Amino acid sequence: MSAQENPFGDLIREYVAECLPLAEAVLERCLRLERFWDHGEPGDELLLPLKGELHTLKGNSAMMGLTALQGLAHGLEDLCGKLTLQPQLRASAGSLLVRGAGLLVDLIREAETAPATGSEADSYLAEARQFLESSETITERRTDDRRTTQRRTTRDVGEIGRDGAITTLRVDSARLDSLLEAFGEVMIAQAGMRETMRALAPWRRSVGEVANLELSSLALEKTLKRLEGALMQTRLVPIASVFGRFNRLVRDLAQDREKKVRLEVAGGETRLDKTVIDRLSEPLVHLVTNAVIHGIESAAERAQSGKPPEARITLAARQQSDRVLLTVEDDGRGLDPDRILMKARALGVAPTSESPSLEEIYALAFLPGLSTEDQVSSLSGRGVGLDVVARSIRALGGMVQVTSQPGRGTTFVLRLPLTVAVLPSLLVSVGQERYALPLSDVAETVRMAPDMIHEVAKRGMVLWRGAVIPVSDAGQVLGLGGQPRGRRYCVVLRSAARHRGLLVDRLLGHEEVVVKALDPVLGRPPGVSAATILGDGKVACILDTVRLADLHGAELSASRH
Amino acid sequence: MTPPTFLVVDDSKLHHQMYGLVFNKGELSGSRVIHAYNGREGFALYSTHPEIVMVFLDLNMPEMNGLEFLAKRRETGLRPETPIVLVTTEDSPDDEARGLAAGAWAYLRKPFTPAQLLALVAKAGAGNGAPGAR
Repeated sequence: MSAQENPFGDLIREYVAECLPLAEAVLERCLRLERFWDHGEPGDELLLPLKGELHTLKGNSAMMGLTALQGLAHGLEDLCGKLTLQPQLRASAGSLLVRGAGLLVDLIREAETAPATGSEADSYLAEARQFLESSETITERRTDDRRTTQRRTTRDVGEIGRDGAITTLRVDSARLDSLLEAFGEVMIAQAGMRETMRALAPWRRSVGEVANLELSSLALEKTLKRLEGALMQTRLVPIASVFGRFNRLVRDLAQDREKKVRLEVAGGETRLDKTVIDRLSEPLVHLVTNAVIHGIESAAERAQSGKPPEARITLAARQQSDRVLLTVEDDGRGLDPDRILMKARALGVAPTSESPSLEEIYALAFLPGLSTEDQVSSLSGRGVGLDVVARSIRALGGMVQVTSQPGRGTTFVLRLPLTVAVLPSLLVSVGQERYALPLSDVAETVRMAPDMIHEVAKRGMVLWRGAVIPVSDAGQVLGLGGQPRGRRYCVVLRSAARHRGLLVDRLLGHEEVVVKALDPVLGRPPGVSAATILGDGKVACILDTVRLADLHGAELSASRH
Repeated sequence: MTPPTFLVVDDSKLHHQMYGLVFNKGELSGSRVIHAYNGREGFALYSTHPEIVMVFLDLNMPEMNGLEFLAKRRETGLRPETPIVLVTTEDSPDDEARGLAAGAWAYLRKPFTPAQLLALVAKAGAGNGAPGAR
């Protein structure tokens, strides 16, 4: 019976909300048990609560009419029961248990959209039965009533306050989005009001009402700022929801490569905007996959260099003012700076300086085609390099850096904004148009003079802090025309490895703009990522500095005169 | 006629929502449901709300399970006539027997349907606010 025909079918979302975290906890516990058993430890203290959790999952699935899930939870509960009674089976049962728990997580995650048909669960259950039968013939059965009658005594009640009042509400994220959108409109109206107040300033002294209006406007602005903060808070989700997936990934990958890897996770409670969280999973998967496959040496290699056989990968998160710092660290072989530099020279993208710093060299790893040696070809057959990781992190308004100690390990540091709904920007003008540049991409702004642009190999370059950086003209890139040498400012943008300049006419100041997605009907103009509405109600485009960098060379060489 | 008050003791929020669906519909709409998320909290609410006409008590719970709840009521002698339904699963017949021995009025196995729940309420005569089994 599908959940739709069940009398409680309408509660399917609530079911997933309650059962998915529970199933993930089950999986986590099974992974820990597997490790315990690998090391010959009994892990009894994990088995008992595990049975309790499976029991709850079974009951809840049964109530929803999700028979495949009910059967799977029941089978796993049985399996745990047998393993409680027959410790000698444990050593060979770990992977079976983990796979079952993984299936449980998957089926619950899909319960709302694609209810399980039962075939996957059935074949798993058949396998579990077979395991138990084959072991039954060689082991004598023992019973221990004391253990089976013990029951679970603690469980996190979580979202319910002590007085029984509900302290946490689940709200459809679409509702939060519409709230945010309405708030965006308010901010725009407020910005318009601020401009009017500026125009009225001369009458402040003579007309009392103008002064009062100004005070009210300031108070309103302050409150709106608080409202903004509170609103952003509602969109923040603990990063544990992303971290939770990695135990299994690391375990499966390591098993596949015959490596021993322990995943350590810290700071799972750190909160990030839901949109950031949603888009973070993929780059993190690349980094962790990379670490297991390439970063960590084979068992033999580790033994040779005197490292412990079990490698370690650490995923950690912490908040640092309005940013979140994520680190992916491994204790593997580290990056080889000479090799990166050699490759960069071969590709013609090496830094101009004679003896680049380690930092500069490691930054090169994020350039397309530079993820060293076999990385690109063998990354799960997906051909994904670090440039893709860097690109998706930067698309979120974040930054990624890597440091490494050869032979000791590699650390990737991701700096992410708490939110992507409001973007701190630098407003610039080019001709009659205004544009917003993400402030996180802006390294510096430089006042220009016509003779500051040099031509090197037919490309425009400027000297900036002792280095020669390529520049492009915003007017050319964005199709607005105008003369590069006539622009008054150069905005120096951080890009993956080297800085680049963007020539603009005027700097209009810093502003926190509310990001509005572009209507797909409009297509995506080159170099533009989104739009915003400014204080005067006019639309400004938010520039995508990563794509802008791609448009660079060709456009500028075409603009030579 | 005062609408009846029910006490639901269950550690699963989902189950509370399910009871809510049943108790807020049809002839029982308007009835009041007091929610508790473990036995200890449930017993505290039971002792402070004499208007409760019927209790739905989950068997497996943290901090005082269903059987311990029943033992506590017997020990305190608090309103022994109020029907308590012990909510169980198909694999705990021993616990069902123990529950009835400890003073449960009936047991209800998961998965149950709204009709089964309503039938128990009707049987207990709790739907019109009159406490106690007939």
